[in-house]
Amino acid sequence: MNGRLLAAVPLAGAIVLAAPEIAFAHGLVGREDLPIPKVVFAYAATAALVASFIALAVLWPRPRLEDRDERRVALLPRILDPLCGAIGVAIFALLVYAGFAGSQTATNNITPTFVFVIFWVGLAVASALFGDIFKAFNPWRAIARAFAAVATTVSRKELPAPMPYPAALGRWPAVAGILAFVWVELIDSARADPSHLAVLMLAYAAVQLVGMSLYGIEPWNRNGDAFAVYFGLFARISPLHWKGGAVSWRAPLSGLTTLDAPPGTVALMCAMIGSTSFDGFSAGETWGTLAPRMTDSLRDLGFAQSGALEVTFTIGLLVVVAVITGCYRLGVRGMRDATGIEMSTDALAARFAHTLVPIALAYVVAHYFSLLAFQGQAIGYLSSDPLGSGANIFGTAIATIDYSWVSATAIWYVQVAALLIGHIAGLVLAHDRALITFKDGPTATRSQYWMLVVMISFTSLGLWLLSSAS
Amino acid sequence: MAAPPLAHAGHWIVNLLYLAPVVLIVTMLAVSSHRDKRAEAAEKAAARAPDEPDSQ
Repeated sequence: MNGRLLAAVPLAGAIVLAAPEIAFAHGLVGREDLPIPKVVFAYAATAALVASFIALAVLWPRPRLEDRDERRVALLPRILDPLCGAIGVAIFALLVYAGFAGSQTATNNITPTFVFVIFWVGLAVASALFGDIFKAFNPWRAIARAFAAVATTVSRKELPAPMPYPAALGRWPAVAGILAFVWVELIDSARADPSHLAVLMLAYAAVQLVGMSLYGIEPWNRNGDAFAVYFGLFARISPLHWKGGAVSWRAPLSGLTTLDAPPGTVALMCAMIGSTSFDGFSAGETWGTLAPRMTDSLRDLGFAQSGALEVTFTIGLLVVVAVITGCYRLGVRGMRDATGIEMSTDALAARFAHTLVPIALAYVVAHYFSLLAFQGQAIGYLSSDPLGSGANIFGTAIATIDYSWVSATAIWYVQVAALLIGHIAGLVLAHDRALITFKDGPTATRSQYWMLVVMISFTSLGLWLLSSAS
Repeated sequence: MAAPPLAHAGHWIVNLLYLAPVVLIVTMLAVSSHRDKRAEAAEKAAARAPDEPDSQ
């Protein structure tokens, strides 16, 4: 074995031991029993994408998702919004309190599991299925709305109008928020420390309250609140649309066609896909070989071990996000050159940005399914004993995690299916958008050759990351 | 002493296999694009031909 690779083994072990949640994500699920080599799944997925592309060109001659009508299915009671907001604030307060007052062992405290598993992964999946649930439970939005309502009542006059949200700022605050969260999740050496998480939660809430007070609650939530934007994007996949005190039914994916794309939107999508990709990449052999070399070089420059590791992983994260961005922009550039459309690459990239949302969700499901399936069960005992103090509030404190309910083979099939469905959904959205962007069907189809390459690249990348994760 | 890359060819060749579909599709697109351009150029040349004066 290569000497550097030998050195990488204890380093990788140290990283995993320092971050229990990573061990949950990639371990304890056994080995798959597959009838064919994993790489063949990449070939089969490519064949399925090419077949889908041809089927779209032949059977989908007119836009079907753009400007689709919604059908109202139910009115919601007025009390629901403030009630959900109050529940969101209560959960937020509990998590912060548990972070400070509870056990500082990550697995015994509800805060890390809730934040990294239930919130980050579970809510993303739930949003894609049931719509924008987070908007109702968003604790920062609820606090701001309650404050505005009380201030209006007490002062008996309208509050001063907020400043207009700067157009140039776009979704860049959300990009910064997502990258910061991912940095904490994947790189921060104190990420498993509940009190550290609680401090960060309070800091994030403070930033959101300042943002809402400056620019208004809804404009800030649409653009600046990283989690509101993140879950809101996935919610557009859902056939359920919660708006204006009613819930409406719409064609799945059609909500994405109305997505506006202010500055930072493409970067946000690429950050979402890139950060998940880096999580997979950092668990593989290639990174296990590269990282120790970079860390050693940084230590030679005077960095401490933990600092060198954080810088190494930060560079890795940014490089992977840049690679994803470059791949998408190459596809868009190819689209522009193939059609001769008089539109800048930036404008065309923004116009097709919504096609990346199902891919981002596919990456989340594929990469974190086992985490949700196994570590998600921990919420059973953690809800009874959130502080790790020996309490048994709901009588479930002795519940354990069942690692046998889904096999490693089943997980692999779920991962492949998620990637394939997500990328086919991306192709469908891109084809639909091309039909209203380009002058005729053949040009629209020709424009999508390079988007097909992007989809195949992301699918192959996703399967490679999953297959090489140790 | 570091082992030469070929000693671990099995590791990275397996990784490269995941790149094969992308390379295949890009090659097909590049060839197709090149043929289209040649056909377009031939069409333009054919369209210009009747306007040229007859040398005989």
